[in-house]
Amino acid sequence: MIEVQNLVKDYGPIRALGGVSFSVQRGEVVGFLGPNGAGKTTCMKIVTGFIAATSGSVTVDGKDVVEDGVEVRRRIGYLPENAPVYPDMTVREYLAFVAGVRGITKADIARRLNDVALRVGIVNVLDQEIGTLSKGYRQRTGLAQAMIHDPEILILDEPTSGLDPNQIVEIRALIKDLGKDRTVILSTHNLPEVTATCNRILLIHRGRLVANGTPGSISAAHGGNNNFLVEVDVREGARPPADLLARLPGVKSVLPADRPGAAGEPLRVEATGDADLRPAIFDLAVKSGWALLELRRERLDLETIFQRLTQS
Amino acid sequence: MRNVLTIARREFFAYFGSPVAYIAIAVFLVLLGVTFFFEIPFLLPKDDFFEAREATLRPLFEWMVFLFTIILPAISMRLLAEERRMGTLELLLTLPVTETEVVAGKFLGALGFLGIATGLTLAYPLLVAVLGNPDPGPIVGGYFGVLLVGAAYLAVGLLASAWTGSQITAFLVAILICAAFTFVDRLPEAVGLRQMEAANLMSFNAHFRSIARGVIDTRDVVFFLTVIVGAVALASHSLESRKWR
Repeated sequence: MIEVQNLVKDYGPIRALGGVSFSVQRGEVVGFLGPNGAGKTTCMKIVTGFIAATSGSVTVDGKDVVEDGVEVRRRIGYLPENAPVYPDMTVREYLAFVAGVRGITKADIARRLNDVALRVGIVNVLDQEIGTLSKGYRQRTGLAQAMIHDPEILILDEPTSGLDPNQIVEIRALIKDLGKDRTVILSTHNLPEVTATCNRILLIHRGRLVANGTPGSISAAHGGNNNFLVEVDVREGARPPADLLARLPGVKSVLPADRPGAAGEPLRVEATGDADLRPAIFDLAVKSGWALLELRRERLDLETIFQRLTQS
Repeated sequence: MRNVLTIARREFFAYFGSPVAYIAIAVFLVLLGVTFFFEIPFLLPKDDFFEAREATLRPLFEWMVFLFTIILPAISMRLLAEERRMGTLELLLTLPVTETEVVAGKFLGALGFLGIATGLTLAYPLLVAVLGNPDPGPIVGGYFGVLLVGAAYLAVGLLASAWTGSQITAFLVAILICAAFTFVDRLPEAVGLRQMEAANLMSFNAHFRSIARGVIDTRDVVFFLTVIVGAVALASHSLESRKWR
C-alpha cells in the first residue's frame, strides 16, 4: 500500500535520510522507532507530502506523493509532531474546519465530528477553546483531526508524547483498535510503545533503516537470546571457572559480567547455538566444587538490541 | 473551490473573532475622520470642510490609500507567518489542498476585512450627498480604485508573509514594498527631474488617481489585477519551494 524507495533528504549540508526503503501493507500497524534526530519525522513529512525528498520516491496505492499529492493526502490522516492546532478556535470549530477543507459535506460533518469525538474522548471539551486545553486533550484533538475523514491510512508522529501514563495507555488502546481496520504508521522513541501497539518495527538510526521486522524476528536476528549469566563463589584451591566453562561444548565465549555488588565471580557465557546450557553449567559447578550463587538465561531483550543498534 | 472558501471563512472569522480587526478598523476610521474634518479642509479653498462647500471626496480617497499602506500590512502579516511559527502550516499543507488554494483562501479572507473596513467609510459619501450634490462618477471610481489598491496591498502583504516566520518582518517588508510602489511616481519630482513615464507606469498611486477620476481605463484595472495575481502566485510558489529546502 505504501512503497518507500531509497529516500534521501538533505537539509542543506546535513543528510537527514540516507537512502531508506520499506513498504507497508494494508492493515499493518508499523512503528517507526529510533532516537531523537534519527529521521523518523523527516520520513513522515515526506510521506505526507509536507516536504519533498532530495531523491527517492514514495507511492501510496501506486500514486506518487509529489505528482499526485492531493489524491494521496485525501487517503491519509496525519498527526504532526506536537499536534499543531489553532489555539483561538474551539475544538468543534477546528474539527469542522479540517473536515470542511477535506470536502466533507455540512450534513456529514456533524455526524463525523460526534463519532470521532466519542472515539478519542473529547466530547466534554468540544466547545472549549483549544488554547485552554491540557496537553493530553490537545493531543487527542490532533488525533481526532487526523481521523475526521475516516482515512485508510493514519500517520501519527509521536502520538503519546506529553501524555501522562493513564492517557498513554488509553491512546495505545485506541491506536490498536484503529489498527484493526486500517493502516497505521506511528513514530516513537519509546520501545514499550512499539511492542504494545505495532506488529512491525522499523528501527531507524542516523537516517538509515537498521532493522525491519516483528519484535521477535528482530530479536532473533540481532542477538542471540542465548546468553547465560553465571555467578559462582570459587572456594580456595578450586580451578578458575572461566577456563572450565569455556571448554563446555556449545560455549562460544566467557566474559566477566558487570554486576556491581556481586558476592562471587559474575560471568557471562555466550552459547553458539540455541541450546539451553544451564544443566551443563550446573553439573560443572557441582563437579568443580563451586557454590552456584546465580544461574539464569539472559534473554537479550529489544531494549538491549535497540541500544546496540543505535550506539555507533 | 469549496476548500478555498472554507479557508477564507476561517481567516475572516479569525480576524473578527479577535480584537485585531476591531482595533485596526478603529485606528483606520479615527485617523481618516481626523484627516477628513481637520486636515483635508486646508487643502480646499476654505479652511473648514463645511465652509469649503465643495462636494468632493478626492482627498478622502487619497488618505485612505495612505492609511492602507500601514493598516493592511498589519492585517496581512499574520496570514502565513503565523501558521509557519505555530506549526499549523504542516497541518494545512498535508490536507488535500494545493498551495495555490491555501494562499487564495487566505487572500480572500483578508479581502473580507478590506471590504468591511472600506464599507464603513460609506458614511462620508452619504454626508457629502446630504450636504451637497456630488458627481457620482468620482465617488464610484474612488471606491473602485481604493478596493483595487487595497487588494494589491494585501496580495503584497501575503507574499511578504510567505517569506518569513516572523510577523513583524512580514509587516515591515510589506510596508516597504507597498510604500515604494505607491509613491514611486513622486520620486523623479523629488530629485528634481521631470515626470517620468516609467515611474508613473509602476506607481500604484498614479493608476489609482486615474481610476479615481471616475473614468475607468482598462489599463489601470489590468495593472492592479496583474499585481494581485502575480503576488498571490509568487506567494504560492514560495510555499511550494519551501518543500525542497
